[in-house]
Amino acid sequence: MSAPPPQLPAKVAPANAESYRLEGDLPMVDHPAVPFVEIETVRAQEFIPAAKEALSALIAEQGQSKVIRPTFNWAGRNSLFPLHWGLACCAIEFASAFSARWDSERFGIVPRSSPQQCDLMIVNGTVTWKVAHKLITLYEQMPEPKWVIAMGNCATGGGPFRTAYSVVPGVDKLVPVDVYIAGCPPRPEAMIDGILRLEDLIRERKE
Amino acid sequence: MQSEDLAKALAPVLGDRILGVEPFAKTAGRLRFRADAALDVFRAVKEDLGFHHLSMVGGIDWVSHREVFYVAWSDRLGQYLLLSTDLPADAPHIESATPVWPSANWHERETWELVDITFDHHPDLRHLLLPDGYVFHPLLRSFKLHEPEELEVKKRSV
Repeated sequence: MSAPPPQLPAKVAPANAESYRLEGDLPMVDHPAVPFVEIETVRAQEFIPAAKEALSALIAEQGQSKVIRPTFNWAGRNSLFPLHWGLACCAIEFASAFSARWDSERFGIVPRSSPQQCDLMIVNGTVTWKVAHKLITLYEQMPEPKWVIAMGNCATGGGPFRTAYSVVPGVDKLVPVDVYIAGCPPRPEAMIDGILRLEDLIRERKE
Repeated sequence: MQSEDLAKALAPVLGDRILGVEPFAKTAGRLRFRADAALDVFRAVKEDLGFHHLSMVGGIDWVSHREVFYVAWSDRLGQYLLLSTDLPADAPHIESATPVWPSANWHERETWELVDITFDHHPDLRHLLLPDGYVFHPLLRSFKLHEPEELEVKKRSV
């Protein structure tokens, strides 16, 4: 014994709508206009002073560093902006990580073209002594706080070119590195995993 | 053009500044010339024979001496021509080819920094591939590969 099928509402057509309505169509219903903006404004006017009061009470109770720092870390680790550049073949995987298939933007990772808008430098490729100046300049142009990920074997330790006359054996000779990603080149999943490891580091950041 | 034709065409112009022309693979030939007459040879090859495009410049360290070679291309003949000469191993230097072929500029910078052959009267003899202040010439036979831990002296250049 199944329940009877739901009854469609009776056809009540507006007086002027008959001419363009198809046969068998559902009737058009006029929804009342909801004053959404007004409601939200009123709620915000009530909410903001209450939130301020609660935050002040929390800071007074816990101390400033225990409230501001986690909030700051939470915002920082969820909006990591890596520098959009490429040194070698790892840059192909770096670019793939932002394509539709891997879509790193769902983690808030958005590559920026200017170092002054970035807080994360992903060194994706072989660093030569010739380009070392430029890498250091770009790193110094990034605002604090900033992090560095060495992506791939070349950036980690020189890779197959470790003993070559023109290759830096690991980018940690030039800038402080937070996370090393192995692989030649690492897959986009590995790069995303490295960034998530970095987010764990930022979560525990104290100063 | 065969190497015999090349020798025949260049003999009245250059005389004893050419040391010999030998066949070399599918090119027009391998022209050996005296290093102190380099610019005369380049001008004759470019303007008389029509090798207007300088494809590359390179150097070889044979330990006993250095060799510098030029590869020129002729659109009319559809052929390459090799020009090479020997330089002494201590302080090797040769006149720059930039007055004849401006494209020699970067090639000679690269040859200078890798094989340590100085090109006289070069307009801008700086490092091309290696960082400024790099004191080694890595494609010399006497250059030894370093372990990364021994790199302090190389880092100094950065």
